[in-house]
Amino acid sequence: MATTAAAPSAFPSPFSIETPAGCEGWQQMYPYYAVFDERRRDTDEDRFWFWNSMHFPFPMPAFDVICIDSPYQAVGSWQNRVFAVPPAMGIDYRIVNGYVYISGNPVTDPAKIAERAEFFQARAGYYYANWTELYAKWRAKMEALIAELGDLKVPELPEYEPDEVAFREDRNTAFYEVLSAYGRALRLGDLMWQHHFEFLLLGYGAYGTFAELCKTHLPDIPDQHIAQMVAGIDVLLFKPDAELRRLAALALEIGVDAAFASGRTPAQIDAELEQSEAGRSWLAELEKVKDPWFNMATGDGLYHYYRSWLDDPRIPYASLTGHIEALRAGASVERPTAALERERERLAQEYGALLDPGTRQAFDELLALSRTVFPYVEEHKFYCDYWFLTRWWNKIREFGELLRRHGFLDDAEDLFQLTRHEVGSALDELVLTWATGGVALGPKHWPPIVEARKQLLQRMAQWTPPPAIGTTPEAVTDPMTIMLWGVTTERVREWAGQQEGGLVLRGAAASPGLVEGIARVISSVDEIAEVQDGEILVCGSTSPAWAPIFPRLRATVTDVGGVMSHAAIVAREYKLPAVVGTGRATAAIRTGQSIRVDGSTGVVTVLES
Amino acid sequence: MSFARELSELTGTDAASFGGKSAALGELLAAGLRVPPGFALSHEAFTRGRDEAAMPAAVREQITRHYAALARQAGVPEPPVAVRSSAVGEDSETATFAGQQETLLWVRGVDAICDAVQICRQSLFSVEAVAYRRHIGDTRDPAMGVAIQLMVDAAVSGVLFTCNPLSGDPSMVAINASWGLGLAVVGGEVTPDDYLISKVTREVVREQLGVKTLEYVPDPAGSGVELREVPTDRAAARCLDEPAIAALLDVARAAEHHFGCRQDVEWAIARAGSAPDNVFVVQSRPVTTVAPPAPAAPVSAITLVMAKFGAKP
Repeated sequence: MATTAAAPSAFPSPFSIETPAGCEGWQQMYPYYAVFDERRRDTDEDRFWFWNSMHFPFPMPAFDVICIDSPYQAVGSWQNRVFAVPPAMGIDYRIVNGYVYISGNPVTDPAKIAERAEFFQARAGYYYANWTELYAKWRAKMEALIAELGDLKVPELPEYEPDEVAFREDRNTAFYEVLSAYGRALRLGDLMWQHHFEFLLLGYGAYGTFAELCKTHLPDIPDQHIAQMVAGIDVLLFKPDAELRRLAALALEIGVDAAFASGRTPAQIDAELEQSEAGRSWLAELEKVKDPWFNMATGDGLYHYYRSWLDDPRIPYASLTGHIEALRAGASVERPTAALERERERLAQEYGALLDPGTRQAFDELLALSRTVFPYVEEHKFYCDYWFLTRWWNKIREFGELLRRHGFLDDAEDLFQLTRHEVGSALDELVLTWATGGVALGPKHWPPIVEARKQLLQRMAQWTPPPAIGTTPEAVTDPMTIMLWGVTTERVREWAGQQEGGLVLRGAAASPGLVEGIARVISSVDEIAEVQDGEILVCGSTSPAWAPIFPRLRATVTDVGGVMSHAAIVAREYKLPAVVGTGRATAAIRTGQSIRVDGSTGVVTVLES
Repeated sequence: MSFARELSELTGTDAASFGGKSAALGELLAAGLRVPPGFALSHEAFTRGRDEAAMPAAVREQITRHYAALARQAGVPEPPVAVRSSAVGEDSETATFAGQQETLLWVRGVDAICDAVQICRQSLFSVEAVAYRRHIGDTRDPAMGVAIQLMVDAAVSGVLFTCNPLSGDPSMVAINASWGLGLAVVGGEVTPDDYLISKVTREVVREQLGVKTLEYVPDPAGSGVELREVPTDRAAARCLDEPAIAALLDVARAAEHHFGCRQDVEWAIARAGSAPDNVFVVQSRPVTTVAPPAPAAPVSAITLVMAKFGAKP
């Protein structure tokens, strides 16, 4: 089977991408090192960069860049400097027109890979062997971090410092306290990201290995079934909704459910509940649940505008209303945990029974390991991405509020249009002029910058980023790129095909193999003699009667036919890639055209006319 | 030994005389699957050699006797039958001979059956059959039996594999289905509905409805089949409902369990009746094109995880 890598320049060079009209100067709101720069062209242009649309689907506000820097500092530290994952260091990023492109740094020297493997085996081995104990310590560490964030005070700048500052030697003045609090807030964020990635790679790695084993031996197993076999039944992420179900049942039980009439805002519902003794007791019960379970984010992402249920209770109140209606209609809102548990075991048993004994043993062991690591994989999101991060953005908002009070910003929310360093600079001037009593330039300096950047973000949101830029890789080998982002060789090839803009036909994948070659379109069996060695036969349908010419062909493509036709079976026996049932191959393809046939995915691409 | 026997009397060991297809039908009956009744002729019934044109009188006599029994069973004087070639060595675990030999449908009357039997036998020496045997390196003297079965007046028919024939996934049953008799699907003349069903959860994992513009139906004249166009809306319509899919899934599991290996099953759903009673198996053979993966030597989970990260111990 011949395979051909996609053409080397299927994607645009990062240096050829134009700035959309009205977005000139967008680079100024990002760090100098975060853009494609001519001084680094020789290395950057030869790399493969893909748009990290999973974490950063929208143009980056200036402050939110901290959620690129910090995670990539952290993930690289663990992956490259602690665990020393043998073939992969960390991840570089660049911003193009507001969008984040990333690229892994591979380790290619075999001696280096072997050296790193020693570190990896010892260190990762320690984590896997002591996972449950280490994870318990991790949770304690995260809870302490969240508590510290809660305790962090953003000080006022008073006209006169209080007496303690004057009369006690261990007190600092507000200028120092403000700068110190801001610095500490940033460092707490860094700590969270450090914790976030401590277990993540190893957790995904174990789960990914189990998933890969399943897909090797059971190639069509739905991802859902793999997850079902591994996922815990009673995990943290279900807890917020479980609490809402319990509160819904309580509302019915004590007769306050009428307050949850549809169309009401949370404030209106609260107001009605406040009117009765029962309503007030329900609200007291809700208060107990809120911390921590209302620290859920309203969106799944790393942007400052994703608030928590605490900030925006519309989502939990809508859920409460829904659960109450379901209960009134006689439905059970309890999760059937016993049935879920039985089904999880049944799936594991039945899939395991389809495997040979050697594979079965690996399957069982990997399943057990995956179940051990999975609580972290699921729960870190609650601790880090939701609980910590929504509170952390709110802590940062307090600095925005401070700047607003002193005229540096029109709105506390405007802080997020400045980089974290610019915010530090604004705070520097604020505490300076507070101390000196001088006139601050900030109130004239920052608002126009904020306004210009808001417009830039809106305009950049109109731009459609290409899925990838730079040099097309022959194969994606970086385990992190594959595991965390699902960017595989096949995916890149798909993107490359879209960039080429060639005509694409889809049919049934009848016989596997990827080849390119010259098409021979024939309309009747009389023309079969015209077929030349090494051509790709394109025809209405094939017949087993044509088997005698199959050894001469590189592939076949048909308008009609299914994967179980005799012709398809014979093509598989002859190991001849085949796509059948394309509907219109004989009309769309002409003899002599160069085409690519992927008998594994059922895709036929016309490469040139 | 008789060279004509009821299908229900045959077992796997009869493949050497009666060919793979007839023997497999006997096995399917023994496994309790619904198979249209019929009888089989062994290759010894015929004189060796392609030049032998005449039907031996003794064979004709046996066909007449068994056909009469089949007619009594069907309750009609000249019931339509399928005449299928059953080559010795075909449908083995290494080669299917898929579509290399003739099948004639909706044949009625002893004369027509005898003609059809001769056509089947001659297909042993067709250009494609000879090329195929050369491709698989089969140098034996070709020999062929014939199976004669009552026809199923199929509303829908097709093929199923007890694994995904492309990926080899043993947890899946793959079904291709189209309107009318099975010729359209196996002949690649239509793009059939394509279903992939999980054996473990019984859910349809993937479904791609085909455009089934043609169907084979019994010729209104009484014998043979005719190819007719299917109206556009019906061509695009889903041709299997949930009970039919469930019945086919059970057929797949039973056939695979009985033979102890992956099977490629041709089936038909009769116009009369309802699933599962109207779901018939007309053929089953081992899947040849996807070998089950070689048994793996036991490897510890941690070794596999290390390998995932590129750290081979």
